[in-house]
Amino acid sequence: MSKNYRILDLLRRGRTPLENHLIDGLVDGRLSRREFVRHGSLLGLSLPLLGRIGMAAGFGATPSLARAAGAAGGTIRVGSSVPAAAIDPVTIADAGGLLVMQQVAEFLCVDGPDLVLKPALAESWKPNADGTVWTFTLRKGVKFHSGGEMKAEDVVASIDRLADPANSSNALSVFSGILQKGNTKKVDDYTVEFHLDAPNGNFPYMVSSDNYNAVIIPASYKGDYEKSFDGTGPFKLEKYTPKVGASFVRNDDYWGDKALPDRTEFTFFTDIQPQILALQSGQIDIINQMPVLAGVALLNDPNFEIISLKSVAHQQLHMHCDEGPTKDARVRRAIALCLDREKLATGLMKGRAALGNDSPFAAVYPSTDTSVPQRKQDIAQAKQLMEAAGLAQGFKMTLTTERYLEIPEYAQLIQNWVKEIGIELELNILDQGAYYGDAVFGKSNWLDSAMGITDYGHRGVPNVYLAAPLKSDGTWNAAHFKNKDYDQMAASYIAALDLEAQKATAGKIQKLLLEETPVVFGYFYDYLTATAKGVTGVQPTAMSQLFLDKASKA
Amino acid sequence: MVFLGGQVLPGNVGRAILGPFADQRAVDALNHSLGVDRPLLVQYGTWIWNFLHGDMGTSYIFRAPVAPFVIDALGNSLKLALIAFVLVVPIGILGGVIAALNLNRPLDRIISLGGLSVTVLPEFVTGIILILIFGVWLRWLPIAAAWPKGAGFFTQIYYLILPSLPLFLVLFGYIARMARSGMIEALDSDYTRTAVLKGLPWRTVIWRHVLRNALLPTITVIATQTGYLIGGLVVIETLFRYQGIGSLIFTAARGKDFPMLEAGILTIGIVYAVATLAADFLYSVLNPRIRLGAEQ
Repeated sequence: MSKNYRILDLLRRGRTPLENHLIDGLVDGRLSRREFVRHGSLLGLSLPLLGRIGMAAGFGATPSLARAAGAAGGTIRVGSSVPAAAIDPVTIADAGGLLVMQQVAEFLCVDGPDLVLKPALAESWKPNADGTVWTFTLRKGVKFHSGGEMKAEDVVASIDRLADPANSSNALSVFSGILQKGNTKKVDDYTVEFHLDAPNGNFPYMVSSDNYNAVIIPASYKGDYEKSFDGTGPFKLEKYTPKVGASFVRNDDYWGDKALPDRTEFTFFTDIQPQILALQSGQIDIINQMPVLAGVALLNDPNFEIISLKSVAHQQLHMHCDEGPTKDARVRRAIALCLDREKLATGLMKGRAALGNDSPFAAVYPSTDTSVPQRKQDIAQAKQLMEAAGLAQGFKMTLTTERYLEIPEYAQLIQNWVKEIGIELELNILDQGAYYGDAVFGKSNWLDSAMGITDYGHRGVPNVYLAAPLKSDGTWNAAHFKNKDYDQMAASYIAALDLEAQKATAGKIQKLLLEETPVVFGYFYDYLTATAKGVTGVQPTAMSQLFLDKASKA
Repeated sequence: MVFLGGQVLPGNVGRAILGPFADQRAVDALNHSLGVDRPLLVQYGTWIWNFLHGDMGTSYIFRAPVAPFVIDALGNSLKLALIAFVLVVPIGILGGVIAALNLNRPLDRIISLGGLSVTVLPEFVTGIILILIFGVWLRWLPIAAAWPKGAGFFTQIYYLILPSLPLFLVLFGYIARMARSGMIEALDSDYTRTAVLKGLPWRTVIWRHVLRNALLPTITVIATQTGYLIGGLVVIETLFRYQGIGSLIFTAARGKDFPMLEAGILTIGIVYAVATLAADFLYSVLNPRIRLGAEQ
């Protein structure tokens, strides 16, 4: 299709240089349309506008995401894990709890299944020239379930509450070094500015559903969320019974399209097996999150459908860079070369995973430099590296990890593979509580073990993975990796507003991490949701959220 | 004891609630607001003082009073245990008696061997098999023990049948074997021979002489199983999504929710003591020797 420069010029009018640079990238063919849409949405361009630019640049119409709407009415029944603690937007940290909270409360923007940000309570957002101030324009006429209108004060209070170190906020680790208490400012009733500590090109993700604590609740909130369950969402709480379940009803005052189901019902389970049995016996319609190993029985059963989201959740295999045999980067590379990643993805993860290349840059991130070669199993080269390091005869060491998902099986595979280059691994598989300990250096098996495997949940942008687990002063730096070049590159990636600048830095980081290999990223596993046949319109996210406003069942 | 044991476990309460990836400042703030950063003795003193005043404390994790959780869970556990008891005690004893009366005949073999085989199968195996048969294939019984709100007595029983079956299977072999060996011993004894020789009808001999003596050890065994039936059903409760006191204690221990843990364990202790007392009482009813001894 030909490019229509006249329309393009019209659309460019009034755009910032940064936005025009993005449009150039699309017109010149340096960016794919997918990359363009995702990065454009991050910069706050609306999806219809991105679609029009795409058309004018000769890409045809954007495929419509709207599906045939299901019938309204009925009750959708969901099985999910038990909220591990009192439900409170400030402290909440577990999948079961954040799922319940997200049924009633909403975010400024939502990180969708395709990692494209979509507006929710904010209509649009944009950065200043260097990415230190982000301005969000709020949607008008949004009502809390308790009656008041959502305005800038509520947004300021909700975010400030999370950025306050005195508040037991679980989001403090996200905002640390990015946004301080008091730097979220009201401009007028419908405009909020975030003044950041340093330039940040991916900031909107930190106030999206990606930061699951960042729901907007009334400014007057004083704690004890379970008393009110206030929010702006398409559903209102009907009843919540701790450890048992929760139910919700349609909110007829919702600002957007009204929810299709009359009711939704959540049943809490402490284990996945009973959830699978409940789905098979027809007592629930949806299993929100199903680990692939536990769900093998459902994967090929025609009576059920599996929604498989590409996610960036992964297991990090860290190796101490400051002591023992893995102090030598050649030994760390040798260990990484022993892994047969294809087998991990197809065998261990039943094809529901993407290969990892020993950096947090998964292929699904648009900023990932895909020209960096994929590391593959190469025992011969691994043996050479061991020899060069003076360890041809091999050595013994302990791999410490947590009993969670497929990690024990993964550890056994690694144990077998490194045997080939003479490394004898003793496995020390601990209960999760014992593995993480106090989660500070000196009091945690996770942070103190010479080698370990740790589960990391999904994030829509790699910022968090690039900082805490890998930076020299990172609080989750279990590998004890200290590298000034890396620190600089990570900082400049995080600051970059422009997709191509992000890509260039990403490439450098990917190469440096392949060389140093403080952490082996073997695979990124998909997020699976199982539904009974005939259930449609269910929209999960890889952060354990589940949007049911368009759900219906036949 | 429980209090001290809990303190030795790794991790701390704030960490358990906020997770490993939370900022240390947030964890410290939470620990402070929960009061778990105070000296151990102070915490212990406060807890004992409140408990003696009838206040079981406030859950760290749910930030709500502990008592309703424990009372609900205990009620649920008692219901399940009671149904399992009602099913297994008569059937188990009957099985043992039949086996003993048919000693070494095929019927005895079937009961002994069958009982033993199902007893050694763990509950999570029998539980899943039963769920698959009755819940998924036949769809006769609900697979979760959580009945709808406000359900009547019979509905509740209907929901509890499936979860109580694995317990039945575990205990049946045990009780039947005890009853059987008690019966064999009693049938072999001098008083039984005397009773038969003095011309009493067979039925009277069994009822008045044999059974009464044979059941004594069985009652002791049943009483010692009460603790298990009330507090040890974590697996069954997880499988059938049942809010019993076993899983309450289990999750409290994992989350370092001490007020909940301590209240739960104390409650089980009390139930256990009451059950043992009841068994002693029953024992004395059945065994006049103990009663007479007390009167002298």
